Amino acid sequence: MRWLTTGAVVVCALLLVALVYGLPPQPDRPAGGSNQRQAETVPVIFTAAPVYVSLAALHGEERFPEGAQLMVLRGGQTRLLVLGFAATADASVSFDAQTVLFAGKKNAGDPWEIWEVSAEGGAPQLVLRGTTDLIRPLWMPDGRMVLARRERDGFALEAVGLDGSGAVRLSYLPGNFVPDDVLRDGRVLFESGFPLGSGATPEMFLVYADGSGVESVRCDHGAAREHGRQMVSGDIVFAHGERLARFTSALAEEAAVAAPAGEYAGDVAEMPDGRWLVAARKPGAKHFGLGAWKPGAAAVTVIVQDAERDLIEPVVVVPRAVPNRHPSGLHDWTVGNLLALDARLSRSGALAEEPAAVRAEALGGDGKVVALGTTPVEKDGSFFVQAAGDRPLRFILLDAAGHTLREEHGWFWVRRGEQRICVGCHTGPERAPENRVPQVLLRTTTPADMTGGAAGAATAGGR
Amino acid sequence: MRRRVTMVAVVAAALCLVLLWQPGMVRVSAQLSTPPEERYASPLEVLLSPDGARLYVLCQGADEVRVLDAATGRVLRTISVGHLPRGFSFSPDGARLFVVNSWDDTVTVIDTQSGRVKATWAAGFEPSSVVEDRPGKLLYVADRIGNNVTVLDAATGEEKTTLAAGRGASYLTMSADGSRLYATHVYPNATPHRTPPKSEITIIDPAQARVVGRMMLPDIAGVFHVALSRDGRLGVAAELHPKNLVPMAHVEHGWVFGNTLTVFGADVGRSVEVPLDELDRYYALPFGVAITPDKSRIYVTHGGSDCVTVIDTKKMLAYIRAHPEPFAEDLSASANYVEARVAVGKNPRGLVLSRDGGRLFVANRLDDTISVLSTRENRVTQTIKLVGPDKVSPLRRGEQTFYAAKYAFQGHFGCSNCHIDSTFDGLQWDLEPDGFGKDIVDNRLLEDLRGTEPFKWNGGNPSIAIECGPRTEMYFWRSQTFDDLTLADLVLYIRHLPLRPNRWRAADGALTPAQERGRAIFHRTVDKLGQPIPEGNRCAYCHSGPKGTNQKSFDVGTGKWTDNSGVLDTPQLMNVALTAPYLHDGSAKSLEEIWTVYNPHDRHGRTNDLTKDELNDLIEYLRTR
Repeated sequence: MRWLTTGAVVVCALLLVALVYGLPPQPDRPAGGSNQRQAETVPVIFTAAPVYVSLAALHGEERFPEGAQLMVLRGGQTRLLVLGFAATADASVSFDAQTVLFAGKKNAGDPWEIWEVSAEGGAPQLVLRGTTDLIRPLWMPDGRMVLARRERDGFALEAVGLDGSGAVRLSYLPGNFVPDDVLRDGRVLFESGFPLGSGATPEMFLVYADGSGVESVRCDHGAAREHGRQMVSGDIVFAHGERLARFTSALAEEAAVAAPAGEYAGDVAEMPDGRWLVAARKPGAKHFGLGAWKPGAAAVTVIVQDAERDLIEPVVVVPRAVPNRHPSGLHDWTVGNLLALDARLSRSGALAEEPAAVRAEALGGDGKVVALGTTPVEKDGSFFVQAAGDRPLRFILLDAAGHTLREEHGWFWVRRGEQRICVGCHTGPERAPENRVPQVLLRTTTPADMTGGAAGAATAGGR
Repeated sequence: MRRRVTMVAVVAAALCLVLLWQPGMVRVSAQLSTPPEERYASPLEVLLSPDGARLYVLCQGADEVRVLDAATGRVLRTISVGHLPRGFSFSPDGARLFVVNSWDDTVTVIDTQSGRVKATWAAGFEPSSVVEDRPGKLLYVADRIGNNVTVLDAATGEEKTTLAAGRGASYLTMSADGSRLYATHVYPNATPHRTPPKSEITIIDPAQARVVGRMMLPDIAGVFHVALSRDGRLGVAAELHPKNLVPMAHVEHGWVFGNTLTVFGADVGRSVEVPLDELDRYYALPFGVAITPDKSRIYVTHGGSDCVTVIDTKKMLAYIRAHPEPFAEDLSASANYVEARVAVGKNPRGLVLSRDGGRLFVANRLDDTISVLSTRENRVTQTIKLVGPDKVSPLRRGEQTFYAAKYAFQGHFGCSNCHIDSTFDGLQWDLEPDGFGKDIVDNRLLEDLRGTEPFKWNGGNPSIAIECGPRTEMYFWRSQTFDDLTLADLVLYIRHLPLRPNRWRAADGALTPAQERGRAIFHRTVDKLGQPIPEGNRCAYCHSGPKGTNQKSFDVGTGKWTDNSGVLDTPQLMNVALTAPYLHDGSAKSLEEIWTVYNPHDRHGRTNDLTKDELNDLIEYLRTR
């Protein structure tokens, strides 16, 4: 009887520890196996990897240097999603939950390629063959996907049909750009270094499905943010260092997520009952396991973990809303038009003096900076320029003597045929435009030519 | 022979199938010929009886006031009123209910005890709101088309005086102590071309029947309900802050509209514009406003976003005090004072709080329901379904689409943002595809459009289906939008928007002498010097036919340096008196300016031989069109 009481106390204590500290310690297990702690009613697919370097792709490197395998947890059993592959990762479930896209290496020496398999399993089909690595495929509306393609300058974003047709490059800077999610408004959420492409701090950005409108999700830069996904609420939840944080519609800065102590890998999936499926590990623990967390709860409930492998990139196999398709309004031009409403405005504060002119620069293929020209800034801070599309650009504000007043943190691009307006120089997405005609448009409707000779095919005719 | 007949029959059947299979256009034309005529309740405004027991619902679609048990939603009484009622209010003693009928230009006076109509009085042009003064002597009526507030004798209905208000005077609210009457306006006042719009809140002293102030609302175009706190120290008006002067290159970052409040009164010390939107989500068409008796919360309906915003007044006032500079363009501001967004029915409009502030009743115009919110829980606790057709007709679906903001990127705005109550907004817009700063276009009235094709000022769109389909998706919504069926319903709705009654034309069609003289000028073939006017330079040539357009495009010399082409579609003339400013870019502030400022070489008709009086006659005639 006494041993029964003692046993009950121990069980209660263990439960209490689990509740307070979240994920329990990793048990010793044979390599390659996974230890499931709680049966889930919906199937879950995740990547299992002995070594996971979450930011490797942002440096053009391999995230899974010792391989990876997609696993499916269904009906309380964990098994390989596909058989006969040297490596598989990056599962993306179709909106009807019938099909899974993934990156896979059939043979160890192959590049990562894009494959498709039924959510029920079975024989995978090659979707997109790569001569270089193709990773992180994500479903888009209208039977298209977005992925990262390894190129000479790093991983580039690309949208392409599942049959390989209609490929559109979405990023036009050197650097690495890795898709994280397709938001319900149709934009692609991706991560790269800040400043865009060139910086060392991982940051989250947005771009339309035709490569236009690239911008930071929020402009409270500085924190390392990675692996974001949009939740049903519309919030974007991501890993901020080891913690979770979120962008909400209402706030211009990230908000903390009060998740239990631990290290989180991002890529949070939302289950139909509202719980979050997180890849997390206790401080000091070697590997990430998968747990379910009800926002507001004190602990993460372990779902599955593996003593030898990180379990990351979870996705839930349930139907979900199809994002809106982006109807591209790009004109049939080789150039883009850029209008600044008031270049004096910036989150960086007031300028030392009024800007007299703006200089545009491009980044050549050889990495050298090319001056594209200088044009006056109007008294109200407006300027209107035409620049070559699909190449790195930046603006530098000058005083009357031609000295630099302020320059952009990094490079950005304008798509061919894109017409884009900024409220100011780095004002942040929280700043809506004032309703006034910019002075430059009262003087001329012809943009200053800063195309570097690419303006020949430009036109601004009506459509 | 039989085989040939069979083959012909098969081919014919196949053709029929193909025709039936065609999405969009074919269905559109089929539906156009037989528009359904369902009579929906379309609740627009709600009032509670002074004892709080009965809920009065102004059913605009049914031309009725329905009296419901406020606790159960049971219908107690139905009272027929005039056509298209738009506003109603009780007399201070609660004995009478006044209803303004916007298409009849009348006021219906109802005895609340018996529920009987006691009188029907004449009002101004398109009466839209009505309030009786505290002593019960004068009745104030806001006239949307008349742009004024008409003052009637509250006993007889006799017109006592007319007060000049702003443009589109539509909503009246009396302060709790009865000392001030506030009028808001759905259209902006005239401002110089390509400058920000400006509206006003006209402040009236009801004791003297005199305008005592005009609170200017810079940057604001459409203002809807205004509410005053019980202590009179806080006023709140719901409004639209358009971005029509900035090229509409994209939608994100509040690019097309701001949905805001103007907050004023002693608690604020000045009038302040307070944004309601967020960075990635918009709350379109703020319409109704209510302040709780303890002033702790403000409720705003959003007709385009199908929800109610709940504002913590204390937090809002603290934010205002902490931010002396304007912050209307800061999409992150609302996080500091918005407490909740509560989903309600389709196109929520008027709202009323129970006396204790515990319940909020919201009229959902486009699904015939009343949402009842618990203000303690910020959730809908009851939905009252009004009696009406169970089936949603294609026309009704089209109207729902017209008012919904969900089709635009991030739910930013809907058709009705620019076409206020399915009309126009009095603004000029800089659309992106024509080039930045180019082809500035005046917004045109959407009434009785059949026979006025093509659309757009350059005549580039042959049909509404094309205007509202891919073009709208690409350059307005900037997001995936209507499917074929939804588009067909929308086109059906727009094509069947009726022409409102012309207020300047006699019921029997007879013209006044001035109108008759103007008609002669309009149709003349010889100028005052006896010279023949070339056919193409006569008013009646381009502006021919019953709708005043020959549906062709011409260069009449009105193009500007910012235009890609001077060749412009001939606009229709129906109800032209309502739609200032004029010309394709809205550069002419009045009809007169079309000829006195923008027709120096007689290319837009021979008019330079006319005297001022003769131009006035011409204007008098045009007003009858």
